[in-house]
Amino acid sequence: MTSTSEKTVPGPAGRAADGPDTGRGRRVRHRDHTIPPWLFVVPALVVYGIVVLYPSLAGVMYAFTDWSGIGGFSFTGTDNFRALLDDGRALESVSNTLLLTLAVVVVQNGIGLLLALGVHTSIKSRAVLRLVFFAPAVVSPVMVAILWKYVYNPENGAGLNGLLGAVGLGGLRQDWLGNPSLALWSVAAMVVWQYAGYSMVVFLAGLQGVPAELHEAARIDGAGSWQRFRYVTWPLLAPALTINLMLSTIGGLKLFDQVYAATNGGPGTSSETLSTVLYKEAFVYGKFGYSTAVALVLALFVAAVSLVQLRYLRAREVTA
Amino acid sequence: MSTATARGPAKAKPGRTGRRPKYGQYALELLMIAVAVVFLFPVYALVTLAMKDPRQISESPLSLPSPPTFGNFGDAWSSASLGPALLNSTVITAVSLLLLIVLGSTGAYYLARCARGLGYGLYILFLLGIVLPFQLGMIPLYRLVDDLGWLGTYQGMVLFYTGIQLPFTVFLYTGFIRALPQDYAQAALIDGCDHRQAFTRIVFPLLRPITGTVIILNAVFIWNDFFTPLLYLGGSDKETVPVGIFAFVGQYVSDYGLVFAGLVLAALPILIVFVVLQRYVIKGFAGGLKG
Amino acid sequence: MTTGSRFRPDRRTLGRRGLLRIGGGAAALAALSPVLTACSDSGGSGKLRLVGVADQQKPVEELVARYRTSHPDAEFATSFAPTDQVQTVLRTQLAGGNAPDVHVLYPGSGSAMSMVELAKAGLLADLSEQSWTKEVPSNFHPAYRHEGKTYLYSAGSSVIGAIHNKKAFARAGVEPPRTWKELLDVCAELKAKGIIPIALGTQTPWVTQLISYALVPNAVYARNPAFDAEMASGKAHFRDSGWADAMGKYQELQRRGFFNENPNGTTYEQQTSMVASGRAAMAVQVSAVLANFRQAARNPDDLGMFPFPGGDDAAKLWIPAGIVVGLGISARSRNSAEAKAFVEFLGRQQNVDRWARSVAAIPFKRDAATRTDPALDGFLPLIDDNRAVPFMDQSWPNAEVQPAHFAAVQDLLAGKTDVDGALGQMDEAYGKKS
Repeated sequence: MTSTSEKTVPGPAGRAADGPDTGRGRRVRHRDHTIPPWLFVVPALVVYGIVVLYPSLAGVMYAFTDWSGIGGFSFTGTDNFRALLDDGRALESVSNTLLLTLAVVVVQNGIGLLLALGVHTSIKSRAVLRLVFFAPAVVSPVMVAILWKYVYNPENGAGLNGLLGAVGLGGLRQDWLGNPSLALWSVAAMVVWQYAGYSMVVFLAGLQGVPAELHEAARIDGAGSWQRFRYVTWPLLAPALTINLMLSTIGGLKLFDQVYAATNGGPGTSSETLSTVLYKEAFVYGKFGYSTAVALVLALFVAAVSLVQLRYLRAREVTA
Repeated sequence: MSTATARGPAKAKPGRTGRRPKYGQYALELLMIAVAVVFLFPVYALVTLAMKDPRQISESPLSLPSPPTFGNFGDAWSSASLGPALLNSTVITAVSLLLLIVLGSTGAYYLARCARGLGYGLYILFLLGIVLPFQLGMIPLYRLVDDLGWLGTYQGMVLFYTGIQLPFTVFLYTGFIRALPQDYAQAALIDGCDHRQAFTRIVFPLLRPITGTVIILNAVFIWNDFFTPLLYLGGSDKETVPVGIFAFVGQYVSDYGLVFAGLVLAALPILIVFVVLQRYVIKGFAGGLKG
Repeated sequence: MTTGSRFRPDRRTLGRRGLLRIGGGAAALAALSPVLTACSDSGGSGKLRLVGVADQQKPVEELVARYRTSHPDAEFATSFAPTDQVQTVLRTQLAGGNAPDVHVLYPGSGSAMSMVELAKAGLLADLSEQSWTKEVPSNFHPAYRHEGKTYLYSAGSSVIGAIHNKKAFARAGVEPPRTWKELLDVCAELKAKGIIPIALGTQTPWVTQLISYALVPNAVYARNPAFDAEMASGKAHFRDSGWADAMGKYQELQRRGFFNENPNGTTYEQQTSMVASGRAAMAVQVSAVLANFRQAARNPDDLGMFPFPGGDDAAKLWIPAGIVVGLGISARSRNSAEAKAFVEFLGRQQNVDRWARSVAAIPFKRDAATRTDPALDGFLPLIDDNRAVPFMDQSWPNAEVQPAHFAAVQDLLAGKTDVDGALGQMDEAYGKKS
């Protein structure tokens, strides 16, 4: 941990947006004055500690028990973790979890960025368009899944299939949720639809921090729109990009509501993810202890992935 | 420093590329509208389903409703007690947001400016909160809220949402505070302001765009959350909107017209907040740096 | 169960309050809480807390209203939600030692909120003293009772059969079949007329099991009533039992093209709509869904229901009849007297009838005034003749077999496994300790 922090600090990490000029190193010397007193962080830390840290730590205990979730239990040491190594269902779900996350992270942020760039212009409909793109994020994920089952109705004349038929793309009709090799991707598409606008909002907040004058200056210097994007906008979007990538990665790895409500992990076990497995263990099979062990492993895994990602992205913010 | 002055008088509309609209702009507008139409298809499904009775839904779920039934909205309103539920949801969401903004931005101010040692450690500690699966602490937390006697109360929900969303909020704020120019705050500190004044007068106003984002993204989560209010508020008179709507979703018998009508009604307040915030955020940026 | 040496996660013994005080902030909050709760209602005294699944909302609300006319000072705080969420919330509340006074309870064993599971953990109040419990027929005892004590209140049983669209049958000029052979003929006839013979919506997990359940009574229990005991002792297995026969028939219906295309992508709602609109002729379903099918149809009387003929002898047909989801009283209820009085009230004949009628179930006891749903007329003789078998999951030893069955059927329909493989998955789940 300490080595991590040491490496990140030199050259005030993540302050790329201070400006494309140099001369940042000097600021380090002023630190003593500019660092706010630690009292600033205390209230947040207290509430966070009570609501998240303490209960989670207390909950970790169950990972070492055979508790069903009700009644008594006894401590079983590391049995749950050893059982996990032999649990085909849990292990299979890991690859689904990774594929789903990858698809969601790439597509959601790609679309989110394009949407943000599209509506961060002076086109007339921009206010309405922002609303349209963001609207799906406002509906509860479980309800989105219920709604999308109407969209994914496999009958030829219904839902998306009906629409494809109507515009002459009948050949693309699919059994969206029923085909075991397609179900996971159908869920991914649904998630992207719901959260592309979410990514857009974060990118927009980043774009609003890009001074128009920089664009103007670059234009006068003869930069084309791609060059302006690449050398002016993109570097300054680094914080927003970090936030979006981190959030969608973590969200993807933990994705539960949409998968559970849309496919319940099916057909068969073809769209089972770590989150659906650990939910089922806890609340359907009544193996709370084991489920906690799965949750713990999931948490460590997600933490590892996000730390690596964070280091990379923050390094990028500095050099971009 | 150059960026500071460059940002100062930013009055031009963001991203505006020229005085006269160009053909490229019309093409872009058309393209974006086309994308929007694709995005709207499920929304169309939602709204049409909300205007149908069970028989119409059964016969042709996604056709235009003929005749449209607006009765679902009234029925959903009364049978899910949406009036009181909206009040409960509003109180819980608004108070939680207020606390999140205050605690999140101040905490992030420290974490962003103190990026080594303790500061970095705490930052990672907060990040951990986004990573942890909710199941892990669910039962101990439930017992804690019960011990406090806060089941079925606003304060129990506010405490829960503030705590559970703080990591996310701190993460958003920290990222953006890092990207802010430090010069203003430094100048203020040199002028004799203490950190509290520098934060409230200089830094916080600069955070408008991200505060807007913090509000809207947290509001969406808190407003839509179904599980926690059912767990903590179920059966009390403090039930929130999703609890009312989900009660229509049976395993065997459901009236989805009613469910989706309720959903449309529930989504409207958040959408209005979004529209207002988008304006505020943009204005905030243009006018917030007068100095 | 030997709990002597084991920890009980009792709220007062885990030293949680001690832990709580370690955090100074938490202690401050705890100190504040009496002040703050003085003006808030934590649902404690007086009000009877009831948590049920959405499907129970109609009968419970009706009966609560009736109860309050005779007990005007009884106050209820009820909440209803979809099955999965209720299950999660209740498990958390039970674990946290704060269960509602009255809550949804599933009959028999085999699920995380089932009567046996909770009774074993000592979480349910004994209802055996109530008079209605004496009238539960003995073949239903496994659903209501654990170790001789009654813990479940349920209004009666729901049958699985074929819900059919009479107009679609008439268009094809066919009558409800009475044997497996007739069923195949009728389906062929319907298919020839361009009507989907059997709508199937196995995208919705619980729908997957219904055809198995409709076939297994004839394939297994008609031949061997002791099958459950043999399974429990490890003498029998799904794989080499009559289950193979039933699953084979399930598969045969698909192979002959008697289901809609893509059943794994079709939801329960879409299945309902196919039958209600007459695009499909029938669906194998549980009688509790009749109300949903009726409200989806142009004319509710278009829909009927008949026993699904899994066997070859019409006079010896067996059917599945499962006790419907009911209610239990928490062992730690602070209002247990009031809760018991309410359940006693629910046990009166006319209230049993009311609840049963609203979910199209057959009351566990009937008298001259009992009127069951007319669609169920064809089932009553079989029930009275003791040719009804409880839903199979209600006697399964752990909560993993049923989901394994769901997945096995979906895999079977997707062609990802065969009958042997599907039943192997179920045997494996059956063998796991609960």
